[in-house]
Amino acid sequence: MIRILIASVGGQGGLTLARVLAGAAVLSGLSVRTGETLGMAQRYGSVVSYVQVGSRVYTPKFTPGEADYLVGLELVESIRNIHYLKPSGVAIVADEYRPPYTLSVENPFNTRDQAIELIKKLESKTIIIPARRLAVEAGNPRASNMVMLGSLNAVSNIFSHDNVEQAIRKVLPARVVESSIKAYIKGYEYVQAIRNSFLA
Amino acid sequence: MSLLAEPGARLPLMGNEAIARGVLEAGVYIVTGYPGTPSSEVIMTLQEYSRDLDIYVEWSVNERVALEVAIGAAISGARAMATMKAPGLNVASDPLLSAAYSGVDGGLVVYVADDPGPHTTQTEQDSRWYGELAKLPLISPSSPQEAKDYVVAGVELSEALGLPVLLRTTTRVSHTVGDVLLGEIKQPRKGRGFSKNPERFVRAGMDWNLERHKWLNSRLARVEELSAKLGLNKVIGAGELCIVTEGAALNYVLEAVEEYSLSARILKLGLLHPFPRGFILDNIRGCREILVVEELDPYIEQHLKTVLYDAGLFIPIRGKTTKHLPIEGELDKSIVLNALGLKQRDQPGSPHKTPRRPPPLCPGCPHRFTFLALKRAISKKGFKLSEVPIIGDIGCYALSVYKPIDMLWTEHSMGASISMAMGLKLAGIDKPVVAVIGDSTLYHAGLQSLIEAVNKRVDLLVIVVDNGVVAMTGHQSTPAWSTSETGRILKPISLDELVKAVNPDELRIVDSYNYDELVGVFEEFIDKPGVKVVVSRHPCALLEARLKGVKTRYTVDVELCKGCKACLVVTGCPAIVMEGGRARIIQEDCNGCGLCTRFCPYNAIKQMG
Repeated sequence: MIRILIASVGGQGGLTLARVLAGAAVLSGLSVRTGETLGMAQRYGSVVSYVQVGSRVYTPKFTPGEADYLVGLELVESIRNIHYLKPSGVAIVADEYRPPYTLSVENPFNTRDQAIELIKKLESKTIIIPARRLAVEAGNPRASNMVMLGSLNAVSNIFSHDNVEQAIRKVLPARVVESSIKAYIKGYEYVQAIRNSFLA
Repeated sequence: MSLLAEPGARLPLMGNEAIARGVLEAGVYIVTGYPGTPSSEVIMTLQEYSRDLDIYVEWSVNERVALEVAIGAAISGARAMATMKAPGLNVASDPLLSAAYSGVDGGLVVYVADDPGPHTTQTEQDSRWYGELAKLPLISPSSPQEAKDYVVAGVELSEALGLPVLLRTTTRVSHTVGDVLLGEIKQPRKGRGFSKNPERFVRAGMDWNLERHKWLNSRLARVEELSAKLGLNKVIGAGELCIVTEGAALNYVLEAVEEYSLSARILKLGLLHPFPRGFILDNIRGCREILVVEELDPYIEQHLKTVLYDAGLFIPIRGKTTKHLPIEGELDKSIVLNALGLKQRDQPGSPHKTPRRPPPLCPGCPHRFTFLALKRAISKKGFKLSEVPIIGDIGCYALSVYKPIDMLWTEHSMGASISMAMGLKLAGIDKPVVAVIGDSTLYHAGLQSLIEAVNKRVDLLVIVVDNGVVAMTGHQSTPAWSTSETGRILKPISLDELVKAVNPDELRIVDSYNYDELVGVFEEFIDKPGVKVVVSRHPCALLEARLKGVKTRYTVDVELCKGCKACLVVTGCPAIVMEGGRARIIQEDCNGCGLCTRFCPYNAIKQMG
C-alpha cells in the first residue's frame, strides 16, 4: 500500500494530478482510491488530495503520520500538511510560494527562502523541485503538477512511464497532453540528476 | 475516462461519474437536478456525453421542480432520476412525501449526497431520516463501484415496488475516485402513457389518502425481501466481535480490521430504510458485542437497539450514544481503531502552525467590485459598517464573509436573503438593511421573497449579483441561458423582466466593473423608502478567462511599490502576494480587472501590454 498526500492551492492542478495517479494505478492493475478535502477547489483555498494505491484499498482517506509521500505544489500548503508523513516518508515540494492573505498581511518579510528553510527543518527528507521553471521549459507554465508527478515517480518508482503517459492522455485535454508529458519527464529527470550527483 | 466504454472495462471513476454510468446501465431516460456539491458531477458527466445519448439530462430551476419533473416522467412509466445535495432534498421534500402515496410506474431514483465534515454544506444533515419521514426505501453505497451498481438496483427496486427509491451517498463516496467495473448499457426506458386514476394521484381525497397510506405500508413490507435478492446487505468476515456499518464508514472499518488482522463479523448494510430487521436477526446471533460505525447521526444504532429489544436479545452496543464514536464530523480509520480500543500503528506528529487559507473571491471577481462599492457607499452616507446588516444568500458572494472584504452578516438557505432582511426590518431595525442574492439563487427561490418584500412595502436595498452562471458549483446553466450544456435550445428567462414584473420601487442595472456608478447608486438607494433593487451584472471572471482568455493583466512596478499593502488589504485578491516586502501579482492568476490599481497610493500597479 502506498499513500500519497497532495497539498496545493485550489487551481494549481492538485486534483488533476490525483486523477492521473488514479489512471496510472488502474492501468497498472492496481486498486486505487483518491479523494480530496476541497470545498471550493478552483478558488484559491487550501486543497488536499489523498491517494491510496495497492493490491486492495478501500478509502482514499488516511490520517496524519501515514503518508509515504507528500507532494506539495506550494510551500505554505506543504508546511501545513507535513505532519501527514510517516517517519520514513519523503516530501517532494515545488518551490512555488503563495502566502495566504493572512501571512502576507501579518508577516510581510516572510519569503520563499524562509519557507523552504522551514520545511527542510520540519522534514529532512525533503526534495525541492523548481516546478514552475521546469514547466515553463516544457512549454506549459500550468504544468507544474505534471513536473511534480515526474519527480514523485522518480523517487517512488510506482508506475511505468508508459502507464503514466497513457493516464495523462486519458485525463488531460488533448491540447496540453504533449506539454504535460514533457513536464512529467522534466520532473522525472530533475530527480534522477540529483540522485546521480549523490552517487557520483 | 469514457463514460460509454464497453462492459467489462475497468475505469477509474469518481463516485458521481460512476452514478452517471449507472444511469445508462439502468436505462434511465429523464435526469434532472439542481447543482450542489457533492452531487453535481452526475449531471455534468452525462451532459458531456449527451450528444451521443438519447436521454433528457438538464438542470432545473430548483430541486423541487427537478423532482416534480422526474415524478411526472416516472408516473408515465419512464425511468427517471433527480439529483441534489442534502439541503436540496429539504427543498424537494414536499413532492417527495406525496410521491410516496402516489407511487411510480417507471423506476424513480432520488439521489441525495450528504456531507459529513461538513466540507461544502451548511449543515451535517443526515438524509437517511428522509427514508423514514417519506416512508420510502433508502439505499446507501460504500464505493464508486457500488454507487454505480446501486443505481441499477435502485431502479429495479423502484419498479418492483412501484415506489421512488432514495439513493443516498456521502462526500467520500460521491467524490472518491476508484476502480469501477462497467456493466451493460441498457436502452433508455421512455414513458408509455398515463391513465387517469384520481384515487392514486389526487391527494385532495382524504379517504383515498388513508387507503394509499395502507398501500404504502404494504409495499414497504416487501422491501427487505426484494433487497435481499439484490444483495444490498452483506456479511464480511466472522467472529464474535460484530461491527454494523454502512456507506463510506465500511471502508474505515475494513482498513482498521485489516491493519490489526482482527477477526470481526462485519454487517454491511446497503438498505437503510426500511431497516433490514430480518438480515440483522439472521446474522447477529453469537455476537459478544456490537460496534456500530456510521457517519452523522446514530441512525443504525437506534434502529438496531429496537430490533434487538423486540427480539429479546441483549448484546452490548457501542456507538455514538455511548460516545465511542463522535457525533459530529467525518470518521476515519484512527477513530474506528480508537472505538475498538486500538491505536493507529503510524503515530502522527503534530501539525506546524500555519495561517489559514479560506477560499477568497477569485481574481477579477465582479462580486469584489459590488462589495467594495457597497462598503464605500455605507461609509460615505455616514453609517457605520457595524450597523447596516448585509443579509446574504447562497453562492460565491458568501465568500465575502472572509477578511478583508468582511461584508456578509448571514448566509442561510436558498432565497432567504430578502425574506430574512424583511424580517429584520419589520422587527424594528431603524438603519438600512441590505439583501444580497445571486442570479441563480433568485431564480431558484428568491423571487417569492422579492414578491413578499415589495408586496408588503418594506424598506430594503436588494442587490442582485448577476454573474450569469451557477458559478460556485462549477459553472452550470441558469434559466437566462439560450442554449443548455447539452445543446438544447432554451427560451431565455430575463432576470430584469422578472424583477420588473414584481415592480420594486426602484430598479437600476449596473455593470459590476463600473465601481463609481455602483457607489453612486448604492448611496442614492440605501436609505430611500421602499424596495430598491440594484442588478449588479458582470460575467463570472473565472469562466470568462477560461472561455475567452485574459486580454490584459497588471503588474507591480517594484521601484514604485512602497510595500504599504493597500492593494492587498483592501481587495484581498488572491493574485496579489507580498514577497520581500513588496507586492507581487501572480501573472497567470491575474484576470485583468484592474480594481487593485484604484487603491494603490503610489500608482505602482501598471497595466501590461
